[in-house]
Amino acid sequence: MLLGYTLTNNASAIESHHLPVKNRLPGDLAMWFFILAELTVFALFFIGFAISEQQNLVMFSQGKAKLHQTAGLINTIALITSSFFVALALNVMHKGRGRQASFLLIIAKLVACIYIAVKISEYLLLFEQGIDIETNTFFTLYFLITAFHLMHVLLGMVILAYVNHSAFKGKYSTNNLSGFESGASYWHMVDLLWIILFPLIYVI
Amino acid sequence: MNKEKTGKEIMTTTVFSWLLLIILTFVAVYLSNFIDSRDVFISCALILVFFKGQQIIDIFMELKHAPKRWRLLLLSYVILMPLIIASIYLF
Repeated sequence: MLLGYTLTNNASAIESHHLPVKNRLPGDLAMWFFILAELTVFALFFIGFAISEQQNLVMFSQGKAKLHQTAGLINTIALITSSFFVALALNVMHKGRGRQASFLLIIAKLVACIYIAVKISEYLLLFEQGIDIETNTFFTLYFLITAFHLMHVLLGMVILAYVNHSAFKGKYSTNNLSGFESGASYWHMVDLLWIILFPLIYVI
Repeated sequence: MNKEKTGKEIMTTTVFSWLLLIILTFVAVYLSNFIDSRDVFISCALILVFFKGQQIIDIFMELKHAPKRWRLLLLSYVILMPLIIASIYLF
């Protein structure tokens, strides 16, 4: 038993149920270790950003003033809402409704496209002002952190697309949701990271 | 019937969690425009990060039903990160 994670062969615990199984880690253990690794990497980014800001208060204040808080707000709402639809999809998958879950995942991805479009627009607006990754320390960190997060969003979209396809094809069942849960957990991690990133870079 | 009702309760919980996340997001932005003290605002914003993170971890990730150690491990992230960031900014 590793950190309370147990493999269960107790069919009565999971057959014909519509609910998450209690005391069971959703998804694959490997995905959770991957999630922990990603959270750790971003933790270092966040701490580095905060330390750099304390050492360059004026530069960071001026840099943040050039960002569009509204764009960050839209991105936050988009990612939260996308996560919401992924969570709904998993709720529906617990009832064995693969096609309905697939539809909800499509909505989740469409909402996430709002995030991608706004993020790219932000970058283009900054480039038009002659601002790029080499402008100063603030913008180096801004582009590094947000672009790294964007890459995770794009990877998450690929994962959701795979899970979507599998759900539509009926690959998952109430007894076999591990792949679906893993994909959903990864997506929620991406949202969790933005929950910290947005106030740190745009608001504080 | 009871299982179906409980499934609907989970759906309702998910919806309320989403609404709470949206509201807390707007609260953070609202506070940024009305709190003059940087230290107070930073504290408020990072407290909100914890509450939002807890919703994502417990409700969206469904870790509320997971083994306690995993749940606490993830929750510790949204506790420690705001604490570390706050300590950098405030001290």
